[in-house]
Amino acid sequence: MNPKNDSQTLSNKKDALRIPIWLGLLILLICCTAVVVLGLLGVSIMERRWEAQRPAMVHRPIDEWETDNAVWGENYPREYETYLEQENDETKTLYGGSYPRDYLEEDPYQVILFAGYGFSKEYLQARGHVYSVEDVNKTARIKKPFNAATCYTCKSPDVPRLMNEMGITEFYAANFHDLTDQINHPIGCLDCHNPATLTLRVSRPALKEAFESMGKDVSEAGLQDMRSLVCAQCHVEYYFKPEPKNYLSFPWKNGTTVEAMIEYYDDIDFADYVHPISKTRIIKAQHPDYELYSTGIHSYRNVSCSDCHMPYRSEGGVKFSDHHVQSPLLNISNSCAVCHRWSEEEIKTRVEGIQTKVANAMMMSEEALVKAHFDVAAAIQAGVSDEQLAPIRTLLRHGQFCWDYISASNGMGFHSPQESMRILGLALQKAQEARLQTARLLAYKGISEPPKYPDVSTREKAFDVATRFVNDEPIQLLPQGTAGILN
Amino acid sequence: MKIPRILDILGLSGLPCFLQVLLYGLAGLIIGMGLVMVRISNAASYLYDSPETCINCHIMTDAYASWQRGSHGHVATCNDCHVPHENMVSKYGFKALDGTKHSAVFTLGTEPQVLELSATAVPVVQKNCIRCHQKQLEMVRLSSSKEQACWKCHQTIHGPLRSLSASPPELRPPLPKAGFEFNPIGETKNEPKE
Repeated sequence: MNPKNDSQTLSNKKDALRIPIWLGLLILLICCTAVVVLGLLGVSIMERRWEAQRPAMVHRPIDEWETDNAVWGENYPREYETYLEQENDETKTLYGGSYPRDYLEEDPYQVILFAGYGFSKEYLQARGHVYSVEDVNKTARIKKPFNAATCYTCKSPDVPRLMNEMGITEFYAANFHDLTDQINHPIGCLDCHNPATLTLRVSRPALKEAFESMGKDVSEAGLQDMRSLVCAQCHVEYYFKPEPKNYLSFPWKNGTTVEAMIEYYDDIDFADYVHPISKTRIIKAQHPDYELYSTGIHSYRNVSCSDCHMPYRSEGGVKFSDHHVQSPLLNISNSCAVCHRWSEEEIKTRVEGIQTKVANAMMMSEEALVKAHFDVAAAIQAGVSDEQLAPIRTLLRHGQFCWDYISASNGMGFHSPQESMRILGLALQKAQEARLQTARLLAYKGISEPPKYPDVSTREKAFDVATRFVNDEPIQLLPQGTAGILN
Repeated sequence: MKIPRILDILGLSGLPCFLQVLLYGLAGLIIGMGLVMVRISNAASYLYDSPETCINCHIMTDAYASWQRGSHGHVATCNDCHVPHENMVSKYGFKALDGTKHSAVFTLGTEPQVLELSATAVPVVQKNCIRCHQKQLEMVRLSSSKEQACWKCHQTIHGPLRSLSASPPELRPPLPKAGFEFNPIGETKNEPKE
């Protein structure tokens, strides 16, 4: 036998069993990947099974006056992460969202209705809670010499801390600009939660006092009511009492309907400003969201603010509230669809349909109110006496409050559609009644032609017109050659 | 240039010694971990019809709680309504496809908060409604009205609310055990510290 042949057979045999090294390495790689993927899957399964046990863990006890939301966030990461989603200030719905929509730009009539008042200079849709301090510090409405510290009341969890240190009356009476250094954190955890037990609590005195004024006790509210009442600390109609100085109060003594509030304001003869065009004592409505909601179907069925604006979520075994407070229209499937079994598109169409009807009614009453202000101004120019104009100004005062009650509220009437339409009906009726009575007084003066309404179709034009009246250089509204025939 | 036969690869005899050991070791790891996975994922339970199988993860706990206390709680299981019953192939095929989708969604955390029947599930559930309620439907069908999904009107089979968080915590069933005896998962509860 040829030894060379032998060794060749042997090496051939060896070759047959040998796989190339790259194939070996490939198998190794595949095995490794399989082990890693299986391992990760195993960890994931175990973690997800454990989830239900985790939420109760408190890593770090929270101080009684802990105002830094990030510290709370260490213990409650899911709530804090969703809270931080409010940093998105670009969301838009048909009538709302979190972007700083410029109401005056979109609707110049409001420049006339708020003439001479801060809201005619700047009126932006509020951004999310996380911007509350930043935005209140830069708004054009709070500039020296205007300096009520009360404006901070709803803007920061530092407020209950300061009220505790300074005293409630002293806080309200303080100077806004003096407190700026101490108001550092935007609306957050401490505003609604007890740090020791995480239960909901009322941290602002105004709501407690308003309940007392109605003969009720807010501390008797149950959990489901609290899920609305924590919002009602701020999302309500309020005013600053002159005595004690700038004391924040809700006009709820006679009840929380628009009529009850008007009666309250009339009883104490309160006015936020005197309208420079018609010389009417105007009450600026804030945002009576809670009061309006209380008259609606969702409130009747005991659905709280949080059920729609902060719906419950489940992440694995953990149930928590979505702390991204926002328009339910941006989260339809998780908020509305829990109860309403329609498609997202259908729900959206329905809500926007309701809102559009309210918006149209609002614009109608707004136009009537603007004309009513000019009608009264024309009557002044025609020499009609204040005595004769008094009942007309009362109509205008009430009408504008009714309009503002809906206009300043969030949700374009959706919090209570029927009540919103009723109130806008009141606004329109009062404005038209005021115009009718003014027309009679003008007719008595021999003026049967309508006043020459100035062009207020853009924000700039409206602002110029308003400024003329503010500076006491009113635009002549009476038709030429008709002024003072009977004077 | 022979293509290596399967036995050669399995034998790995031509590879350096350390690589062979590594590969066998890794293969062993895979098989071992696979077995652990079968246990902790309760994989065998998916072959059967027990309703507890559907709460191997948390997503269906609300559906389970509302089913258990609802009209169907004592007469039908999840599978009676939610998987096809024509034959074994359609039943296990549906289970496999749906199950894979479910586990992927849960693993990635992309589940919606309000669950809707998927397009493939609609005819399955409808057929199963009729499978039991045939008698009640005879008169309706004779009237030759257009067939509607049963749950268009009977909306509250799974309770009035639709949300993964709809049922209160005390009504939510605990997950079935899926660990090893020495591993007391789910039995310790951390109380909040004051």
